[in-house]
Amino acid sequence: MALAHVEQLTFSYPGAERPALADVSLEVEPGEVVALLGPSGSGKSTLLRALAGLVPHFHGGRFEGRVEVAGRDTRRFSPADLADEVASLFQDPEDQVVFGRVENEVAFGLENLGTPPADIWPRVHAALADAGIARLAERRTETLSAGELQRVCLAAVLAVGPSLLLLDEPTSQLDPEGAEAILDLACELGSAVVVAEQRPTLPLERCDRVVFVEEGRVTLDASREEALTRLDPAYLPRPARLPSESGGEGEPLVRAEDVTYSYGSAPALEAASLELRRGEVVALTGRNGIGKTTLAKLVAGLLEPDAGEIERHGSVCYLSQDPGRYLVTESAEREASLAVGGDLARARAALARVGLAGLERRHPRDLSSGERERLALASVLVADPDVLVLDEPTRGIDPPRKHELARILRRESANRATLIVTHDLVFAGDAADRLVHLEARERARA
Amino acid sequence: MSPVPAAALLAALASVALIADRGWVVAAIAVGLFAVCLKAPHDRRWIYLTGTLVSALSVFVLSPFVSHVGTHVIWAGPKIPVVGYLDVTSEELAAAGIQALRLAAVGLAFAAYALLLDLDRLLQAAGFARRSVLAVGLATRLVPTLERDATGFVEALRGRGVHVDGIRGHARLLSPVLSGSLERALSLAESMEARGFGRAGRTRAPGPPWTRLDRLALAAAVLLVVGALWL
Repeated sequence: MALAHVEQLTFSYPGAERPALADVSLEVEPGEVVALLGPSGSGKSTLLRALAGLVPHFHGGRFEGRVEVAGRDTRRFSPADLADEVASLFQDPEDQVVFGRVENEVAFGLENLGTPPADIWPRVHAALADAGIARLAERRTETLSAGELQRVCLAAVLAVGPSLLLLDEPTSQLDPEGAEAILDLACELGSAVVVAEQRPTLPLERCDRVVFVEEGRVTLDASREEALTRLDPAYLPRPARLPSESGGEGEPLVRAEDVTYSYGSAPALEAASLELRRGEVVALTGRNGIGKTTLAKLVAGLLEPDAGEIERHGSVCYLSQDPGRYLVTESAEREASLAVGGDLARARAALARVGLAGLERRHPRDLSSGERERLALASVLVADPDVLVLDEPTRGIDPPRKHELARILRRESANRATLIVTHDLVFAGDAADRLVHLEARERARA
Repeated sequence: MSPVPAAALLAALASVALIADRGWVVAAIAVGLFAVCLKAPHDRRWIYLTGTLVSALSVFVLSPFVSHVGTHVIWAGPKIPVVGYLDVTSEELAAAGIQALRLAAVGLAFAAYALLLDLDRLLQAAGFARRSVLAVGLATRLVPTLERDATGFVEALRGRGVHVDGIRGHARLLSPVLSGSLERALSLAESMEARGFGRAGRTRAPGPPWTRLDRLALAAAVLLVVGALWL
């Protein structure tokens, strides 16, 4: 008997013009791993929320059809009532953390489910050990990196031991090793797993089945083997074509020599060197917490080094890894015009370049997450800077959009130096001419 | 010290500061709490200390102009419609000093609570009204989150060559920062519901036992409040 059963589900968010899910039917068997793929805004997150009962209980809206998990109809059982069978891991761990201390955060779910008090701490410590973070038990959550925090959230899920685990882009902020570890842990749990991802290689390597969602409809529901022959090639796993490690020939625009930076007493970057030349696109890679963002901010002039030297020539623009930082004004066109002194014509042209034509007057907060990413990109591209620094520009972007972004960056690369901080090696291969890999306490290989 | 007696002691000191009439008592409490707050990391404490001290200073500077107490005029100002004469008397200055010290003491007690207490353990220890204690804990964490968000907005604007200067420049960030915090609050509420918050039959992870110091601190808190009321 299926663990989860979705029957002809059609759902619209309150006030929405069209349904987020349309006539979706699906079954998930116990222990099965399902990769949930599809473009940004296609309804993947809504489907996961429907399986957790958050749709419609938390979000409201119009709900037709039926969803059952472990024999419980989600219209009659609230998400809290389903929490002993269903656990969710969302994209941004910062938005999930309730407590200030790691072990308390992991204990929260067990307490809510009425676990006998004597069993709580042993289960918390076992889950932390299983997630490989026993050493973090006493740490404050605000001192953890994104990767560590996502592991804490996973430990909270492991402690509960659900039958169905729902993962909504849980690895989008993690380096390849961290992402692999999180997915391995989730898939080894023995629970059924439904994982939505925009970097499909890892889930496609681990899943039993693939469900593809497009405009709210399931357009493919097939075994892994069959799906690999039917999926859009943009979603298929492919090896990264790593760019060369040798420098370009253009005029040097940024030269950082042995730069070091600390946040308070915590060292973030030590003796890193990097040169950027006009006409080249450079991908900066390295594991979580190694100092990539710090180096990018030093290049952009947002930070000044504690030691070492940095020279910059020409204008520099920096794209933050959080698209939520590009929501200052009341419309997309005004947001994009901030960098060009309010020139709306240039702003509209920049929005069109990233595929947001027609949404110029839309409030930035009314845009979908993928559209917000593109608005953020337009907000820096609009200035046509000599040096463009992009920090994790592909977070939450679907594979065809990543391909398009790589094409835009390559097309516009001739007149500027572009630095891309990324964990996505496939994207780095598509967009960059040169790869710089940052390693601990060592110089960046530039 | 466990968080419950520590919170009780801070609440008692804030209460005594509000009840006491003698300026030196309130000043001693404020200075003591200020010294306690200095134990917090510099990058976290400055916003609490600055906010408290600026508020207290504002009360000290503004209240003599709007109150009309005393006969020993130090400075005679013009007559303003509605407000009346802007005279400043020595009695008004003394009263303003006490009010400013009271505000500083209460603000510093809150700062010490937010900066130094383990709010998780305080919540764990709460045998009743856990939802209210959790709400207070989350609200306390809102301040550093808002600060981090504001810094992120300023940085993203600087990354586009837009500099945020002055009160007006920062004021336009108020709306996006508050909207962002509302979005974050919704995401957190969704996550909490998905993790079973609000379900019947909740249990509590056992906390560490109280020490002798904890019992002494709780007794001191009670004595402080009773003493202030009696005197």
